[in-house]
Amino acid sequence: MSLWVDKHRPRDLMKLDFHKDQAVRLKSLVQQSDFPHLLVYGPSGAGKKTRIMCLLRELYGSGVERLRQETMTFTTPSNKKVEIMTVSSNYHIEVNPTDVGIYDRVVIMDLVKNVAQTHQIDSSGQKEFKVVILNEVDDLTKDAQHALRRTMEKYVATCRLILIANSISRVIPAIRSRCLTIRVPAPTENEIASVLQLVCKKECLNLPPELALRIAKAADRNLRRALLMCEACKVQQYPFTPDQKIPEPDWQQFIRETANIILSEQSPKKLSEVRQKLYELIIHGVPPDMIFSGLLKELVRNCDMAMKCQVASHAASYEHRMRLGNKPIFHLEAFVAKFMSIYKKFVEESLGDAF
Amino acid sequence: MSDYPDPDEEYELMYADELEMINEEEPRSDAKVVRKKPLPAKRSLDFSSPFTNNTLNSFDVNNVPTPSTIPVDPPGSEEITLTPTIPLEDLTPSTNKRTAYELFGDIEDIDFNEMEMPSKKQKTEEEVDLDLIEKILEGRRLKQILAEPSSRLLANKCSYNVKDNLSLDIPRWAFMPLTNSDGDRVYVRFESEESWEKSLDSTTEQTSLHATYANTWVEARKILEAKQQQQTEEHLTQSLPDIDADVNNNMLWVDKYRPTSYLDLLSEEPVNRALLHWLHLWDKIVFKKEVKTKEPQQRTTFSKRAGQFQLTNKWKGKRETEPEVDEDGRPHYKVALLCGPPGVGKTTLAHLLARIAGYRPVELNASDERSTEAFRNAIQSATLMRSVLDVDRRPNCLILDEIDGAPLPTVELLVRWCTATATEGKGKSKTKTQPLKRPIIAICNDLYATSLRPLRAVSLVVQVGGASAARLAARLAHVCAREGLRISAHVASALAARAQGDVRAAIQVLSFIKAKAKRPQLNMADVENAAIGTKDCHKSLMQALQAVFTVNDKDPGALLKTINAAGEYDRLADGIFEHYLTARVDGRFRIACETLSWLMLHDTISSWTSRTQNYSLYSALPLCLASCHSVLASRTPQRIGFPKQAMEMHRTKVELDSIVSAVERGSSPSVSNSRSALRFDILPLAPYLLTPQLRSANVQFCSEVERKTIRVCASAMCDYALQYVQVRSGEGLYTYVLEPDVNKVAFFGSEEKVRPPPAIRQAIAREQQLEVIRRNEEMANRVPARSKTDDVAHPSTSKKDDKQGGTGKAKQRALPNHLQQLKPKEITKITPQVHKDFFGRVVPISHGHRSDAVPDVIASSSVFYQYQEGFNNAVRRNVRTKDLL
Repeated sequence: MSLWVDKHRPRDLMKLDFHKDQAVRLKSLVQQSDFPHLLVYGPSGAGKKTRIMCLLRELYGSGVERLRQETMTFTTPSNKKVEIMTVSSNYHIEVNPTDVGIYDRVVIMDLVKNVAQTHQIDSSGQKEFKVVILNEVDDLTKDAQHALRRTMEKYVATCRLILIANSISRVIPAIRSRCLTIRVPAPTENEIASVLQLVCKKECLNLPPELALRIAKAADRNLRRALLMCEACKVQQYPFTPDQKIPEPDWQQFIRETANIILSEQSPKKLSEVRQKLYELIIHGVPPDMIFSGLLKELVRNCDMAMKCQVASHAASYEHRMRLGNKPIFHLEAFVAKFMSIYKKFVEESLGDAF
Repeated sequence: MSDYPDPDEEYELMYADELEMINEEEPRSDAKVVRKKPLPAKRSLDFSSPFTNNTLNSFDVNNVPTPSTIPVDPPGSEEITLTPTIPLEDLTPSTNKRTAYELFGDIEDIDFNEMEMPSKKQKTEEEVDLDLIEKILEGRRLKQILAEPSSRLLANKCSYNVKDNLSLDIPRWAFMPLTNSDGDRVYVRFESEESWEKSLDSTTEQTSLHATYANTWVEARKILEAKQQQQTEEHLTQSLPDIDADVNNNMLWVDKYRPTSYLDLLSEEPVNRALLHWLHLWDKIVFKKEVKTKEPQQRTTFSKRAGQFQLTNKWKGKRETEPEVDEDGRPHYKVALLCGPPGVGKTTLAHLLARIAGYRPVELNASDERSTEAFRNAIQSATLMRSVLDVDRRPNCLILDEIDGAPLPTVELLVRWCTATATEGKGKSKTKTQPLKRPIIAICNDLYATSLRPLRAVSLVVQVGGASAARLAARLAHVCAREGLRISAHVASALAARAQGDVRAAIQVLSFIKAKAKRPQLNMADVENAAIGTKDCHKSLMQALQAVFTVNDKDPGALLKTINAAGEYDRLADGIFEHYLTARVDGRFRIACETLSWLMLHDTISSWTSRTQNYSLYSALPLCLASCHSVLASRTPQRIGFPKQAMEMHRTKVELDSIVSAVERGSSPSVSNSRSALRFDILPLAPYLLTPQLRSANVQFCSEVERKTIRVCASAMCDYALQYVQVRSGEGLYTYVLEPDVNKVAFFGSEEKVRPPPAIRQAIAREQQLEVIRRNEEMANRVPARSKTDDVAHPSTSKKDDKQGGTGKAKQRALPNHLQQLKPKEITKITPQVHKDFFGRVVPISHGHRSDAVPDVIASSSVFYQYQEGFNNAVRRNVRTKDLL
């Protein structure tokens, strides 16, 4: 609990820094006895988890914060044992089913059943349900999602689900319709800057507003990243200066470098160089769709309008095909090759016009 | 002969010699007739008549009604009666006749004046006139003869045959009565021998030309027929008994035609020699006496280093062999490992060479039990004992067939057997293990099978390649000849090519075709339909990859087959992906885009297939890969390596993933973030956070603020289960290394941009250890600490926590049921008594302490509620270790 991100995380719904009206609604949701399944979605670093924890605290009191970590073992139908790490309190259990890959269905079924069936010993005073938090629901396999819909209905008396996703586009409609969907939009840069200021005040530091804004911009509207960057700034150099170098996650830089290589020269040799970079990105666990969007964002800057549309549509189609396939590197490289061919043609044509 | 009128007659040319002889025999034959022109007319007249007589006679003979003339017919004519059956024979006399006819036919039209002019001039006018008259007369006569041959012949014949020899009345001469079919009686004359002889002579002489011709023709024909006959007979006689033999002894052809001598071996000569040479190296230890005399000074030796044969000289050879043998006189390699594709004759080679080298081959193959125990027994019995029953008293040579299927422990046992004896040598030979004294030949298909790894190091590896197609074809032809199966050379070579060195498969196909078709002819269709070559032909991935990248003019369809045979489409796709950029010049990325579109399709299909477990599109996978060929194939050879990138990538990815998951698992639950948050935000920035900038390296001189930052670093590391671990580097220095190595995840490329200096690392490490102790302490004192609601534990966050704790408490009070729940807990007073019973004499002490604790609990009921969080009443209170002492 020493990093600012953890230390200064709000614990109470009323103490949230932004989306306050939403917080009020959530609070009133708790006070009514009817608490539905929730599907909380929004970009990373927007504060989904923070809100959920506040909500739980609202529901069960501070006992929710007494967390323990344990590893549960499940047996798949093929008799394979899969282990999954869970974080739980007495009132809730949180799990990330995508950790076990294609066996997520087993985890969801068994876990929800366990939780729903073992709670009933003393229900007299407290809420008569436990909460199961499932992370990254949008990455669940279709099987798991379908397994979820029945469970959600069957055990509604004893357990509630809170699903967390980045985007609901990949959550099947059946689940969407069973949940109250709550969108947590990313904070604006100003909001981030004000949060940074607040935290620095708590830490008794003096943060120049320019730096705060710069950090907010660099963090890509991700509050978590902004806080970490701010703290890193502080560790690197304390008396803040407005034009201080902001440490950035390396993978962001790396994507930018890759885009620059693509733009610098279009030749098969460069393409193979780019491939190594792409491999490197994938190795580091950067999801291919993030690579796609990162590359596109950088590449499009150097294109004129007609080309922008073309490139964007290609990126979309290649990304779509990547989702159908299994080897992202093929699709990434195909996109890069396509871009190179388009760009080279464009450059040659414009040069031809010049002469 | 040069002026012969029909020089283009082939037959005559062929039999020119014979014709010459004929001419000599018959100076009055047609040859003379032809020469007639320059000759005086009178002579020619004289000579021509017997000839015509002659020729016509032969026809006449044919025409003569046989029943009556049988006894009269000359033997020559009998021979001639055969002739019409033979077309060529017919031709020759007729042509001869024709020439004669033409010649004489011409005569009427010829102006003899013109023809004979040169000669005439030398003669007197009277003579000329006379000559002319004579000539004309002669020509007329000739013409008459030709016009009415039968009448003339009849006149001739009857005068000789019918009138004299046949009579309807009872003749005066000696006769033989014959009865006609009509009932008429005919009396045939008995001729005296002399007259018969005479007539015979005349007729034979006359017909000899035809007879000879006929003879030669018949002879030639007979020869041809005989040849044909002989062939068919040969086949018939050979195939029939062999079929019987096959039925009788159900011997596989493979076994039947197994090589029985060194020269029969189909495998490559260097391979054979390598093995034989290795076997001979054992001679010293196995056949003690023979070797010294037998030790060859000059031979082609197989040098293991070079893997080749070298024809070594006498002095050099001796030196070369020395390292091959160890101090015991045994070969350096105790085991020969034969490897190669199935059916090339490895087992045969091993058996034959062992026998040649004077051993008794003892085979142990996959059908035998191969547990460690059984294997040990087999080795012991084979290598340490000697067959008693064997007449020759030959030493054993153990042949371990199909060793790649043997379990790893078995192979390890074998290796131990070889190496242990090698190292212990003579010293320990008396005790437990005796040195291996017999050669062991191991045979495998896959040299790189995992279980063979230990064996590979200690054995002489001999690669047995497939038999060359030419030799295999020759062998197949031989087998066919022996089996009475007709096979043409091109079919044999096609079969050999199809078999790709697999002798066994090729011979099996022969036998199978024969058994199935029951006909002694093997044609191309049989070979093409044969199921070899496609059966379990295993193409390696590299072959397939090579095929994709090279133009194949000969057989464009082969690519798909190769890809199909190779399988491993995913790996192949990776291979194509890895190499397509260098395959061809591709300035505009057309090739790249095309190739990648195919690869993407492949990827999509394969993942769809595996996701839905629906294999209906599976057959499209090789097509996707094959179509890359049309874009990528080139004639320039290029280096194609095994696809490694994808594997390497996967490996590093797993490594980095494991780091992330280690952090995730280790991080304390209060800070636990989702994995993506860790990966993209926290870990990449962690190195910056954990690198505090201090003015001096020595922590002692640090200001309070700086110490605080170090403490923050340390506690952050504790939160995320990071640790500085002392590791001894190569130079013997100890360095602090972050564990798990977050830097690897955080940074791309090898260099680490941000890294605290060693002193700071050490300071952080120390601080962290303190922090760990502090936390443990806190954990131990958790209950009392909690009872004071966090205000002691976290001074930094005290205010906030206090407030929150306050709100929490307020809430708890707001919920009445919680408080109601507390009251029954007062019954817990009973539980200490239970404890008392358990701890016996320790009871008073613990009771005393408890009496301290209990009032506390009861005093602040809200605190007691925190005990109650579990649904388990067993955890009611803390028992410290010191309480128990």
